[in-house]
Amino acid sequence: MNKKATILIVDDDPDIIEQLTIIIKSEGYEVVAAGGQEEAEKTLMAVKPDLAVIDLMMEEMDSGFVLAHEIKKLYPGTPVILLTSVKSATGLSFAAASPDQQSWIKADRFLDKPVRPEQLKNELSRLLNHD
Amino acid sequence: MFKIEVDHKTVEANEGETLLTVLKREGIHIPTLCYIEGLPPSGACRMCLVEVEGAPTLVPSCSYPAAAGMKIKTQSPKVLAARKMIIELLLANHPDDCLYCDKNGKCDLQTLAQDMGVRQRRFAGKKNNREMDVSSPSIIRDPEKCVLCGKCVRVCEEIQTVSAIDFNGRGSSAYIGTAFDNGLNISSCINCGQCILVCPTGALTEHSYINEVITALNDPTKTVVVQHAPAVSVSLAEEFKVKPGRDIDGKMVAALRRIGFKRVFDTSFTADLTIMEEGSELVQRILTGGVLPMLTSCSPGWIKFVEEFYPDFIPNVSTCKSPQQMMGAIIKNFWADREKLKPSDVVSVSIMPCTAKKFECSREEMGHDYVPDVDYVLTTRELGQLLRMYGIDLEAIEPEAADNPFGERSSAGKIFGASGGVMEAAVRTAHFLITGKEMADLKIQALRGIKGSKELHAKIGDLEIGAAVVSGLGNARALLDQLREGRSDLHFIEVMTCPGGCINGGGQPLGADIEAVKARMQALYQIDRDAPVRVSHHNTWVQRLYDEFLGKPLGERSHHLLHTHYNKRNVLV
Repeated sequence: MNKKATILIVDDDPDIIEQLTIIIKSEGYEVVAAGGQEEAEKTLMAVKPDLAVIDLMMEEMDSGFVLAHEIKKLYPGTPVILLTSVKSATGLSFAAASPDQQSWIKADRFLDKPVRPEQLKNELSRLLNHD
Repeated sequence: MFKIEVDHKTVEANEGETLLTVLKREGIHIPTLCYIEGLPPSGACRMCLVEVEGAPTLVPSCSYPAAAGMKIKTQSPKVLAARKMIIELLLANHPDDCLYCDKNGKCDLQTLAQDMGVRQRRFAGKKNNREMDVSSPSIIRDPEKCVLCGKCVRVCEEIQTVSAIDFNGRGSSAYIGTAFDNGLNISSCINCGQCILVCPTGALTEHSYINEVITALNDPTKTVVVQHAPAVSVSLAEEFKVKPGRDIDGKMVAALRRIGFKRVFDTSFTADLTIMEEGSELVQRILTGGVLPMLTSCSPGWIKFVEEFYPDFIPNVSTCKSPQQMMGAIIKNFWADREKLKPSDVVSVSIMPCTAKKFECSREEMGHDYVPDVDYVLTTRELGQLLRMYGIDLEAIEPEAADNPFGERSSAGKIFGASGGVMEAAVRTAHFLITGKEMADLKIQALRGIKGSKELHAKIGDLEIGAAVVSGLGNARALLDQLREGRSDLHFIEVMTCPGGCINGGGQPLGADIEAVKARMQALYQIDRDAPVRVSHHNTWVQRLYDEFLGKPLGERSHHLLHTHYNKRNVLV
């Protein structure tokens, strides 16, 4: 298993960053964190993450979508997980599953907050080792 | 026994009965929103109000005891006006999005508004404004649509003893939520979906994966196969307004093919396989002094319950995967290989009477090489929706048989759908494994019926076997507490999360009362009575699967594919 992989976490909520960092580090991954889209863009210039877990609504409503797009442009092989509570907050439903949504949502997975630790670990190992 | 007068007619009532019980027996329909058959009344919704002569106010019939000489009016103008007013008040802060609601057409609140003749918004209250909880893979909660009847809370606490949700806040700011307002996903919720079955509005629904399945069906790079659980064929017809208890197994198989599934497998096949594995595991535990009593592992809500509340019993739980996951594992490994397909190109869908199966298939242990064994789970209700969407006429469609290699089943695998069925199937096979002979009469009456706990003490060969069957986790909790206190006469215990078993699962058609559940159960036993093969060990394809692929029960391949492990779970991390 690719345990030394570097995971980029982007969220404007420091508590979420802290929780995710604990969960992901406990699995043996390296963690790089950023507090928003802008900061993440800078981080991306210096680090190539093996996977990114990003929030959707940060500086702007669609920051996560933009960021996902940029990650895929820079590093096309890097899987992106959008971890969001947008469905609860707005009632809008997204799924990276359907082809027309895949054409514009550059995320490999959509996870709804709150996420179970083992659920996140499961998705990480699936994306890093398989897709 | 005494007499009371109802709408100028004399009727008989018994000491201790509530008015509602009497009225229901007399065939008088009283609308209710918060009443749950079999549980103590809560009197929360007031829809069941009736007029009692001499009483200063209208009284709720669900919680008012009948007394000799009472004179009751059930449809007086005062009563009807009060009921209508209650609905109008409930609608005051209810979202006006019936057309977009999952429960549209199946909603008790909507039906009552219709029945009471509500045709205008009399009270323009502030709309509820609460976030939906979509985090759970099984259940979606939308507190905006909640009318605070409290049925979900009572089912969760009193029947399942899980207490994942409760009333938060006071007065007009009261709402139903989880501990610390965390999502259901990280609560103690075991995903059984019994709350969905009792919810009178669209506040609780299953997490639907219909769109994902349709996308997969239209993806030319994917081979989409489906399995269907034993309890689905006897309840699916109810989605199409057929009265409960009709088995439409063949029509359902034909419909699934019409929708575009490449293969239709019968989960009852892996129920037979479960019996071979679990039966062997039991015999091994008895012979080698393993941990007893052994607990069944087919019901994923129960598994999460043990992990959360009774982790000391984890060694007792059979290591067998549930039939759904066994089927998933052999589809993605044995079958995909046989068809020269990559496991990741096979999309494995299962049709289940269950919402907890949606959670189960996402468990980390339920996959190989990071490919999940089952990709999507649809409930019976979602299958009904899918059939309507695809315009399939179940009356007109000709029945077809399920696909082999996993299409053949014994009726022992089929009765898994009813509480007691796993045990009955296991005893039939255990008898053969131990004595080398078939049982004279395969029907075991002591294990049948809707009762929450059943027991069987029998002699098989020289072995004295104690077996117990419980359904509804409150009953399971009671039995586990007895075991903790040292009860030791039991060897094998079947536990089903939902009262009555999968036929009453959280994914089954809405609006079923106890009679409907009994009818579904009868339909399963009818199938068993008429079946040519009634024991799992005579399922020829199960034998062939062992010969060609698995080797022997509890062998190395079985261990790798069909068995799993469980972990203690802290619900508050």
